[in-house]
Amino acid sequence: MWLPFSATFKRNFIVMKRAYPWSFFIGHILSGAYIVFFAYLSYTFVFNKDMDTRFTAYAGTNDYLSYVILGGVFFSFAVSMLMIVSRSIISELREGTLEALLLTPSSRKGYFLGTMSQGLTRAGIELLSILVIGFFFGLQMAIQDPIAVIILFIILLFSLFSQALVLGAFMLYFRDTYITQNTLFVLMGLVCGVTFPAAYLPNYVEWLSYCMPLTYGIDAFRMVMTEGETLAGIQFNLFYMMAAGILYLVIGSIAIKRMEYVVLEKHFG
Amino acid sequence: MIEAINVSKHYTLKEKKRWFRSEKKTIEAVKELNLSINKGEIIGLLGLNGAGKTTTIKMLSTLLKPSSGTITVDGVDIETNPMEVKRKVNMIAGGERMLYWRLTGYENLIYFGKLYGLAGDVLRNRCQSLLENMGLGEAAHIPVERYSKGMKQRLQIARGLINDPTYLFLDEPTLGLDAPVAKHLRKSVKELAHQQGKGILLTSHYLEEVEELCDKVYIIDKGIMVLEDTPKNIIETFVKEFRVTVEVQNASTEQIHSVQRRIHEKGASFVSTEAAGGFVFEVISPFDATPLAASVCFELGLDIQRLETKKPKLEDAIIQMSEGLSA
Ligand SMILES: Nc1ncnc2c1ncn2[C@@H]1O[C@H](COP(=O)(O)OP(=O)(O)O)[C@@H](O)[C@H]1O
Ligand SMILES: [Mg+2]
Repeated sequence: MWLPFSATFKRNFIVMKRAYPWSFFIGHILSGAYIVFFAYLSYTFVFNKDMDTRFTAYAGTNDYLSYVILGGVFFSFAVSMLMIVSRSIISELREGTLEALLLTPSSRKGYFLGTMSQGLTRAGIELLSILVIGFFFGLQMAIQDPIAVIILFIILLFSLFSQALVLGAFMLYFRDTYITQNTLFVLMGLVCGVTFPAAYLPNYVEWLSYCMPLTYGIDAFRMVMTEGETLAGIQFNLFYMMAAGILYLVIGSIAIKRMEYVVLEKHFG
Repeated sequence: MIEAINVSKHYTLKEKKRWFRSEKKTIEAVKELNLSINKGEIIGLLGLNGAGKTTTIKMLSTLLKPSSGTITVDGVDIETNPMEVKRKVNMIAGGERMLYWRLTGYENLIYFGKLYGLAGDVLRNRCQSLLENMGLGEAAHIPVERYSKGMKQRLQIARGLINDPTYLFLDEPTLGLDAPVAKHLRKSVKELAHQQGKGILLTSHYLEEVEELCDKVYIIDKGIMVLEDTPKNIIETFVKEFRVTVEVQNASTEQIHSVQRRIHEKGASFVSTEAAGGFVFEVISPFDATPLAASVCFELGLDIQRLETKKPKLEDAIIQMSEGLSA
């Protein structure tokens, strides 16, 4: 598993260095920055720096700016990671390299992990950039337990990785990336508590937020990064994300394997 | 040895009818195929478009599972132990796919090599020597997107050899290549089989290529194996017409008539035309009439300017065979 991991990491790194569409990179940072900027504008001019009591009740804070900025930071991060991992196999298909890849006796896990790790270097830079922008617009952090932040980050990564496998299988099945990914991302933006707590939503939409590990991730990041919570305080979120991650991982691994085969069967020539 | 026993493959296609109504349709791409490939042997797989060649190759290379039947590679079953089989085989398809265009030739080989579990100096040396052998030494560090078609094709072959496979499958490897490049490729294929002892299965549109390279030929038609033999035997079985053209100078009409008589006696047909300063005649016979034509001219004291035997080709055999099939 190590060789396909490092080989794929290196390969993607070379490709990124050589041919990375910088507009992608800037685009991702900008979409995070827009969320921050809108939050700032609406907070200052729409709400007159005064949130209603419902927000405080649902969100557990009245620091709307920090709330939205962290939401934006981790939403953009999640979108980048999901994209990078889920699109990998369908890109191989489109570039005509899938067969060559599947001819090799290599571990697909290593391949995906390599893809994710390399993507992490890029998405990590995006994350930090948006975070920095966030500071300028009034993000206030209070970290008590840095270890908790790190553990949370790793578990979020794991759950996103697993979710990306399921998403990737969908893409292979529908032979589509655009509609699949954008539907999911719009939904995530709506239900994961990015700019407002999911509790605002009617029940029949709110349940969707339970399917998204990101909901619990964003929630936990707010707790440990702005409210000074410790590891103990986010236990539930961590367990939930782990469980969802494992579930997605099982479904995703089976589905991807199945879809790879279906795609080969459907592939002419 | 690779052995395929009673291998069939059918695809299920959904035919869109009207809105949201579709009908399942089964295409039997390969039916009850039996074939074997020995080490050191070049096998040709011939057939028209859609005959099932690519499907067969994909099954042999583990990309597709047979719908029924078994395939074993050196005794290892391809379905129960695909990983072991993948180490021993590789496949090369014509065209420019199966390579990362953004990577250089060298980076491509390194990447695939690692996916086969190779690393370190062993891998680096192998990549280097494969690139040299394929004449890509100087292009090793140029991104593949800047390669010509022939260079991409050669890099594909290097990729197909990266795991030093015991068996190699080539699906239309010379499709669209320039003549010199194709020739070089044929030479490599021969070396791989005859010097390195690899078992090779090759499909091709170019019958001359198959005739030149292959020790044995399988002909499939609509997924069914119709013939299995050496190119030589196929030609002898199906070509019933040999043509010899002779040009003689200073011959009289009487002399030509006696040539004609003696050739007719042997059961061959004869056509002659008068040409500048002599005659040109063609002998058409169910056997090779070259010695006959030569000896007749010699006995009559004719001055032979040119004697040409049209060697029957695999192509003629295939044409005659398919005429026989459709008749
Ligand atoms: N993925 C597929 N799905 C459905 N039918 C296919 C598929 N691939 C090939 N076929 C059909 O199977 C038959 C054999 O195809 P193929 O093996 O590609 O033939 P060849 O390589 O000899 O041209 C053809 O009728 C082709 O249309
Ligand atoms: Mg074909």
